[in-house]
Amino acid sequence: MEKVKISSTQLFVLVVLFEMGSAILVGIASGAKQDAWIAVLLGLAGGLVVFFIYYRLYMYYPELPISSYVQEITGKWLGRFIGVLYIVYFLYCASRVLRDFGELLATTIYNNTPLLVINALMIITIIYAIHKGFEVLARVGEIFFGIVYLTAILGMLLIVFSGLIHLGNLQPILENGLKPVIKTFIAQTITFPFGEMVVFTMLLPFLEDKKKVKIVCLGGMILSGINITITVVVNISVLGVALFYRSAFPLLMTVGRIQIANFIERLDVLFMLYLIIGGFFKIAIFFYAAVAAAADIFRLPNQRKIGFPLGMIVLFASVTIASNYAEHIKEGLVVVPVYLHWPFQIIIPSMLLVIAFFRNRKKKKSPA
Amino acid sequence: MKKWVKVILLIGLSVPILTACWNQKELTDLAFVMALGIDKGEDDLYHVSFQLVNPGNVSSGQNGGGQGLPIAVYKSTGRTMTEAARNATKKVSRRLYYAHTNVVVISEEVARERTQFLNLLDSFARDPEFRTTTEILIARGASAEEIVTTLTILDKLPVSKITKEIKSTEAMLGENFSITIDDLIDGIVGSGKEPVLNGYQLIGMKEEANKAVNLQKTTTDAFLAADGLAVFKDGALIDWIESKKSRGVLWVLDKAKSTSITLKWKGKKNALVFAPIRSKTKVSTILKHGKPVINIKIENEGWLSEANTAIDLIDPKTIGKIEKLTEKAIKKEVQISVKEAKRLKCDIFGFGDVVHKENPDLWKKLERDWNNYFADLEVNVKVDSYLRREGVRTNPFWSDINK
Repeated sequence: MEKVKISSTQLFVLVVLFEMGSAILVGIASGAKQDAWIAVLLGLAGGLVVFFIYYRLYMYYPELPISSYVQEITGKWLGRFIGVLYIVYFLYCASRVLRDFGELLATTIYNNTPLLVINALMIITIIYAIHKGFEVLARVGEIFFGIVYLTAILGMLLIVFSGLIHLGNLQPILENGLKPVIKTFIAQTITFPFGEMVVFTMLLPFLEDKKKVKIVCLGGMILSGINITITVVVNISVLGVALFYRSAFPLLMTVGRIQIANFIERLDVLFMLYLIIGGFFKIAIFFYAAVAAAADIFRLPNQRKIGFPLGMIVLFASVTIASNYAEHIKEGLVVVPVYLHWPFQIIIPSMLLVIAFFRNRKKKKSPA
Repeated sequence: MKKWVKVILLIGLSVPILTACWNQKELTDLAFVMALGIDKGEDDLYHVSFQLVNPGNVSSGQNGGGQGLPIAVYKSTGRTMTEAARNATKKVSRRLYYAHTNVVVISEEVARERTQFLNLLDSFARDPEFRTTTEILIARGASAEEIVTTLTILDKLPVSKITKEIKSTEAMLGENFSITIDDLIDGIVGSGKEPVLNGYQLIGMKEEANKAVNLQKTTTDAFLAADGLAVFKDGALIDWIESKKSRGVLWVLDKAKSTSITLKWKGKKNALVFAPIRSKTKVSTILKHGKPVINIKIENEGWLSEANTAIDLIDPKTIGKIEKLTEKAIKKEVQISVKEAKRLKCDIFGFGDVVHKENPDLWKKLERDWNNYFADLEVNVKVDSYLRREGVRTNPFWSDINK
């Protein structure tokens, strides 16, 4: 493991950028139609509960990342096996987000550029950032957090002043009852983006002020959850339910609608700016978690050396995990949440927590 | 030494990345498509006219602005939009670029045929280059080609004439309003609201419309003008709402901002003109004997722009009477439009959406047969008009003439 110290502000910024990452760009929870925002809020609530699992585990092992304490909890060999699974999971998530990012650019502005080239440029930048160390990434996060918020506020003001918001589009609330909302909540919003906080189990030991973990992470999740909810509400109220449901990238459509005084228009660039920043941090954090976990499990003295090879794996995986966009989305919405997100984000950590609970109780009793 | 090799290698490697712009297009290699005109041919193909801007001849200012025409129109055919666009490359030297397409004109013939009309729309919605704010129009009494080939004075680009004209009509008269492709598709998809589109006419000598001579006169031989609203049902044009009757539609849709309302005063026709400044419409629904009833409430305020009769405008009571007359006049306009839509059995006002939002359970029962249900729907109109001021004269000169 790298020796890293980050401040609580930096952790907060990373949590927010990571959580908002790609969730703001894609039509999150569109299965719940006009109640998508309720599904997002439920997801946030669920995500906070799930975070407490990670938090309790952190309380037991405040100095260790998940790849180390899994070995303490389940024993050396089983622990290492689970740890390796986590490396693969983080790598897969990184390549998924990279694919999302590349697809978005390829469909909207770089129509003729091969996906591999777009993705390669991104992953090379990320490998470079990781090579420089996590502290650098955290500091970059602080800078870009400001930029993201400025563009977000600017964009929001422009949308409001264009008179595009028709809150009536959100009605009728719960038209088909709670069922579709709950379904979306379980199948999507609890795991994406909120359950993805599992990646921070690799990063929490870096925080200098150990007491602040809870408040910083919960605060970051709530802030990003509110931001995502606002975005969903704005998307629906600008586009209407039908178009929200049909759009591959609703926020892009919403931003494209801005037209003020015949000269403030075609502001897609704001969206692109956000896309690149958000994509960068989400991929970088997943990728860093994978690199750190690999270095930890295989006991590599210098984790910088594996950044490049793992980066190449992410790059080629991002191009090969699906042969077209429809397949990529289908996997992301149907297969991945059930077979990957639920086990890795919720089931394994809960089991670890139960075992850790009994082990540590025994420990405490024995000296007494 | 070794360090230098490394540095040079690194610089060399980054060169291919830093060139950027994979599919860069120079401005001089692009043909900006300003408008598309889509007609139907006898061969069942789309006949598409591409109105391209002729950049050198548009720029204004002292030394700019060539002598040639500001636009050039190329035509091509195809079974689909994409095919037609690709076929056009045989004729155009530059790459057709659609990011600035502001207007799509569709001929009435195409619009009346469901599949032909609907087959067009997805290409506009799906192409990332196309803007969703593109205005969509129906050519009325002329082919779409004639509309896009017409030259205009005042605005060099015919497209900006059309888009600006629609905006000013929406703001000042309230007979036409801006309708984009997204609005249209939303209307076709949902069952609670049917879409309308602006009609566009070519008035005058059609054969002169595309000649430079047309620009040499103060009263051009042929000019473009908005005319009426095309009503769509089940994805095809079924009928028109004439300009006179279309103002009520805009009142209900809450698009009307200003207009002029001519009133009769004590037996004299055209005596007073009320000009609203702002207006707000609310549509709601209540249940009456298990049936939905639509309530339209319109609130507007404005000023008196003409008084062509002896009238005591200083008296607040007179003002109250004028307000009452205005309310009656607006109410009548709305009722005429509602009647017209009921005749067509086509809910262009989105009353179905209102029922859907306020009473989802009831809507589930009515949704299937909504347009027929709409034809017998009870619609109440309530108008509140406020006459705030009378311009820079108190009583009109008419009051003194008669003494």
